[in-house]
Amino acid sequence: MAATTEQIAPETAAVRLGSESIRRSDGRAGAVLGKVLIAIFVVFMVLFILGPLLWLAIHAFVTNWTFPNLWPDGWTMRWWTTVFSDPALGAAVQNSLVISPIVVLCSALICLPAAYAFARYDFFARRTFLVGLFATNAFPKMGLFATLASLFYALNLMNTVVGIVIVQIIGTVVFMTWIPAAAFAGVPRSLEEAARDAGASKIRVFFTISLRMALPGILVAAVMSFLASFDEAQGTYLVGAPQYFTMPTEMYTLVLNYPKQVAAVFSILLSIPSVVLMLAARKHIMGGQLAEGFQIR
Amino acid sequence: MALPPILLVLLFVGFPVVLALAFSIGFTGGLNSIVAMIGLNVHHADNWWGTFAAYADVFSNAQFLQDLLVTVVVTVVSAVVVLFMAMGIGLYLRMRGGWLANVLSGLAVVPLFIPVVIASWAILTFYSGDGFVRSVFALVGLQGPTWGYTVIAIVIGSVWTSLPFAVLMVASGLQAIPDAMIEAARDAGAGFVRIAYSIMMPMAFIPIVIAGTFTAIGVIGSFTVPYFTGPNAPTMLGVTLTNYFTTYNEPQQSIVMAFTIFIAAAGIGAFYVWANFRSAKEQGRV
Repeated sequence: MAATTEQIAPETAAVRLGSESIRRSDGRAGAVLGKVLIAIFVVFMVLFILGPLLWLAIHAFVTNWTFPNLWPDGWTMRWWTTVFSDPALGAAVQNSLVISPIVVLCSALICLPAAYAFARYDFFARRTFLVGLFATNAFPKMGLFATLASLFYALNLMNTVVGIVIVQIIGTVVFMTWIPAAAFAGVPRSLEEAARDAGASKIRVFFTISLRMALPGILVAAVMSFLASFDEAQGTYLVGAPQYFTMPTEMYTLVLNYPKQVAAVFSILLSIPSVVLMLAARKHIMGGQLAEGFQIR
Repeated sequence: MALPPILLVLLFVGFPVVLALAFSIGFTGGLNSIVAMIGLNVHHADNWWGTFAAYADVFSNAQFLQDLLVTVVVTVVSAVVVLFMAMGIGLYLRMRGGWLANVLSGLAVVPLFIPVVIASWAILTFYSGDGFVRSVFALVGLQGPTWGYTVIAIVIGSVWTSLPFAVLMVASGLQAIPDAMIEAARDAGAGFVRIAYSIMMPMAFIPIVIAGTFTAIGVIGSFTVPYFTGPNAPTMLGVTLTNYFTTYNEPQQSIVMAFTIFIAAAGIGAFYVWANFRSAKEQGRV
């Protein structure tokens, strides 16, 4: 029974696809040409997007790779022990995994109330402030190197964890404000009013309706903020070095001073948290929460 | 409620920007005094309106002008390529759909998962002298191109890292177009190209503008991608201004370059704001 349905299904699908492509294009030749072009584009995309990542990932497990062979000279796990036994690299991993969650949490505390305000209230210069928050990302951070350092020295924030957290929060403000603001704006006012009419307090309405319905947007914002913080290298280096190194700042010294394979191992380690988080939030990111957040309302 | 992030940004970005602006026109007192003391080739203002000597330094420097040109070219080329790819994938997803379209959009979003430092490093090794591309060419006895440490590698890296956001933006804009409009155009005899050009693109104008401007703003001030994949000279200004600060110890000149990038980015940003407000007006939201 199962076998027969399996046989029928692809046929009907093929018939449906075929008839549609005839209807939609000028003729058979055009459809074939289109399919060939698409196939070429897919192959190109696979090579373009995944090629560099795979090429680098394989390097983490090879003894040596002689040009121009497409197959490495031998396989080894030696580089993994190199990374795990190096205390500096271990400390960098630890720093990153501690600092980034703190940054996301602080950023949420600072920005989420603002996101709600931007979505629900019309106040003086609201749009100017929204755009202004974005402008912070447009100014090259390295250009602030000198004056930011002066400010941090004056406030005694240089070489402190608090200083690193502040520098990284700056990079997350846009995500944490814009995306949740769009999510809050998408919650129908009528629902909130209905709950109020039914006797729920303002706080109860906020937590059980507004916040819950905006949760996917907040989740996407949190993931994007985590990545921005986890990825941040320039500001962290300025404030943290030589006391604190995170994984990206360590990566800069790594690629210059270690064999290629060690950098490859480190790259895999550095990608794990972001890949896991992004997979968790994939549905909402692809579903338009991210795109929605970047249209000023 | 909206105040905390605004205050944070004002204190830790706005205030340093103002300090930097003052420093760049020769006001070297106060919080700027330490930088002015350590830095080389610092110009001091001897009047109340400041001095533009540092700007004159930078804009008469042939190396800077070359880097500025590279920055502009890389930004424009990357933005155009990213927009074309995003439009292609978005249109295919909207008009045909199916598993292949999903595979394509899924692939395009992969770079969002990967930290930029790693992406740059991966792209450099892939296109370098002993990388995959040259190995494949060597397999069939050809001398492949070495793109590592060239401007081409910067463009490849910029496109790679910018693609996900553009695809998400453009695809969501195209998905929002009602089926009825496309069906109507199709019944009236419009082909794929005609529908794409006269219905899809005008309807998704705002998301397309956002994708383009955000890509350009991201690329124009980028540091990591050109630092890893690009040549030593000429390179993009993000790298040059870092060199001026750390290697040459000329903070004032470095800040002048930062303002050059910022003004260019602000120009691109103004286009984005204009497009948004235009659409808000059309829909009667203003």
